[in-house]
Parts: sequence; structure tokens; C-alpha cells
Amino acid sequence: MADTPAGSHAHAHTSPEAPSSAVTRSQFLTLSSVGLGAAIGAVIGVPAVAYVLAPVTEESTFEPVYLGTTDSFPAAPQGQFKPIAAQYIETKAEPATSAGLAWVVNTGKTDTDWLSTDAQFIVFSNRCMHLGCPVLGTGVGFQCPCHGGAYDTEGKRIAGPPIRPLDRFQWEIKNSNELWITQRWSVDFVNGKLTYFPVKMPGQPVHTPGPFGDTVPDILYPNVTYTHGPVPKVQ
Amino acid sequence: MPLPAPPIPDPKRAVLATEDWIEYRTGYPTLVRKFLFRKVPHTGWFHTLGSSLLTVFILQATTGILLAMSYDPSPAGAYQSIRYITDDQTFGWLIRGMHKWGASVMVILLFLHMGRTFFYGAYKYPREMTWLTGSLIFISVMGMGLTGYLLVWDQRAYWASVVAININGTAPVLGPFISKFLLSGPVFNYLTISRFYALHMLAIPSAIVALIFVHMWLIVKLGVTPWPSRPVEGEVDR
Repeated sequence: MADTPAGSHAHAHTSPEAPSSAVTRSQFLTLSSVGLGAAIGAVIGVPAVAYVLAPVTEESTFEPVYLGTTDSFPAAPQGQFKPIAAQYIETKAEPATSAGLAWVVNTGKTDTDWLSTDAQFIVFSNRCMHLGCPVLGTGVGFQCPCHGGAYDTEGKRIAGPPIRPLDRFQWEIKNSNELWITQRWSVDFVNGKLTYFPVKMPGQPVHTPGPFGDTVPDILYPNVTYTHGPVPKVQ
Repeated sequence: MPLPAPPIPDPKRAVLATEDWIEYRTGYPTLVRKFLFRKVPHTGWFHTLGSSLLTVFILQATTGILLAMSYDPSPAGAYQSIRYITDDQTFGWLIRGMHKWGASVMVILLFLHMGRTFFYGAYKYPREMTWLTGSLIFISVMGMGLTGYLLVWDQRAYWASVVAININGTAPVLGPFISKFLLSGPVFNYLTISRFYALHMLAIPSAIVALIFVHMWLIVKLGVTPWPSRPVEGEVDR
């Protein structure tokens, strides 16, 4: 016994001195096979999963879109509300899937700064904030055909299941009379004041009541749709 | 001297010999016999719902393969190819109609089958795994309904899918990621229909086929659930 080197093959199973936790040849080969198999699987599996899941963190870039001349969006007669539909293609290369519709409201005022309280236009998105159906402009606001959501002339919910006001488009006038939309924003009325937020999908709140109203939605719904610059503030 | 008459061929022996040939090499005849001629308790019409589902699934798979031969899963071509199948292709209206109505039939049968299982207590020991695999099949079939609906690519298909994707988006924390996963991007785009098509005709059906095999194996292994009643003296099959 004393002549045999410790841990020699001949005594691996029989020697009482052999530590009980020693890995046997067969265990080693099993573990190696499983480990190697897992490694080979990972080489194929990790890229495959990344391939499928990559879109979950993607954001879109909103390209400026020309809606029409300012003359084509006249102000409604005094005391009336008459949003005018403007169809557009959001991504030129994908006309079949990116057709959009904006509701342009000419307020009759003249300021060309879109954030001003005297702004000439308010450009609403037609996407219902319940689950994304297209809303229709009416004489009193907006109405959704799918589940009965209704909004007033400011895009505020007045009936039905929508959880926040209609999204709005940032706009500017180029070449003195061309109305362009340049970014999309989600909005909510915080303490009665119009506030802009990065765009979240319909059904997801951008602001919740209470002291943590600005952070709770970002924790529960961490994803936004569009890459955006500084969020505009209404004075 | 006349030769002896050749033996008259016996078709039964020929069939049996063929069966033996296959039996020795694969064992399939025994497998099929054990599967088809196993002992079952007293059953009624309610016990036919499962095999009806299997039949409808095979029909859906068959008509689905046929539809895929003429379908173009692209935003520009999907609706046109559906129009072609329905209006111009020989028996296209029939194949598409079978697939469309078969989808509803499958969901209805699935609910009835699930109800039968529930009210018979057939989900209890030792059949918990049968119930669980059945539940996974149920979820998969719902997934088939969701992903198949968009492929028609008309206004209803489009807006129903928008609504369904946004419903997924309203789930806290994971919801927004699920909806972007389904959309294949941050907004509805050219890849959305391809993704739904791949899920509808490759990913989910493969999962359903695998689950059906597990489900069926468990049914054969554990036997058909008898009526939930006290054993009756003298009856052996309960």
C-alpha cells in the first residue's frame, strides 16, 4: 500500500484513503459532455435568442413629415370645433404599414411657436389611448369606434376606457406656409396643466396620481416608442 | 408428366407476412395495436371531444400547408394573395373556408374538452401532467388564433391585431417588451406580419405537435378517465 502513489488509478475505487468527493473518470466524462454540450448549445442558442428578442429594446426615430399648406387647415367658425384630417406616411420605405393620420386643429390664433398658449395649430394623433384604434374628429372632440373612448377638444378623455389624453405632434411651419410635424409626444394634464412625455404605447400611463406620478409609469412601463431629445415644457 | 399446380396465393398470409416483416424491423404494428385496442371504461359522447380536437388539428395543419403554398406574407402582397386564394384558385374558397371555420371549431371544441375534463375531475391524480400539457396546448391554440388573425391583412385583421398587441403592452413591466416583441420593433412595421407568419405556421404548430405527443402518451399510459362515480359492485372496468 505504501508503495502505491496516492490517487493512482488502481486504487481510485478501493483505497480507503481515497477522498469520497473525488471525481471519478465516468463522472468527469459525464460532466465534460454536459458542459461541452451546453457550450455548443450556447454558441447557437445565444445568437438565436438575441435575434428574436432584439426588437424589444428598439426605438423608432420620428422623421419630419409634411402635412400640407397652412391654407388647407382653415380655422373653424367662431364657437365651432372642426379638426381636419391629414394623412401621412411615417416611414417612406414602408407605406403599407406606416400610414398615419393627424387631426389638425386651427385655433384661429397666430403664434407659430407650437408650445405657445396662442399657438396657431394643435396637431393631435388619431391613435386612441385605450388600445390604439383610430379616433374620428367630431364637432365636440374625438370619438373612437372600437370601444367607445371619447375625448374633448383638448384631447382629454371624457368617456370610455382611454387612460390618458390623445398624443400630440410637435409642429413647425417651413417655407412660410408648409405645416410639418417633427416629433410625437404623449401628453397628460398634471394638476390641470398640459405636460409632455416621451411616447408610450396606448394603454400605458405616462403620469399617475400621487407623489410618485413621474416615476411609477417609467418603472411599470419602461419602454418608449421614439428616440427623443429634451422633453418640451409648457410655460 | 404434368407439373404440380402452383399453390393458390393466400392474400391473408401475404398481409400477415408483410406485417411480420415490419414488426420484426420496427415494432410499429404492436405499437399501433396497443394504442388502438386498449381497454377503456364506459365512455360517452363527451369522451369524443379530444379525438375531435386531434382531427380538427390535422385538418388545420393540412389546409394550412395548402394555404401557405399560395400565401404571400408581406404587407404589399398578403391581401392580394388571400383574394387570389378565395376568388381564383381551384377550391381555394373551400380550403380557406375550412381553415377559417376550423379555427373557430377548434377553439370551441377545446373549451368543451377542457370543461369535460374539469367537470369529470379528470385533472386529478394521477393525471395532473395531462391537464398541464393540455393547458399548454390551450395557450398555444390561443396563440394560433392571435397570430393567424393578422394574416388576412384586411382592416379588421390589422386593427384587431393592433388592439391585441396593445393589450399585451398594458401588462406591467414585461408588457411593453412583449408588445415590441410581437411587433418586431417599436411600431407596426414590415416585419410584423413576417413574425406573425413564422409564429403561426412554424413555431407554435411545432410546439402543439410536441405537446400532443406528450398528452397522448399520458392518456395511453394512465388510461381514459372513467365517470366520476362510486365503484359499482361487479363492474370491473372502473
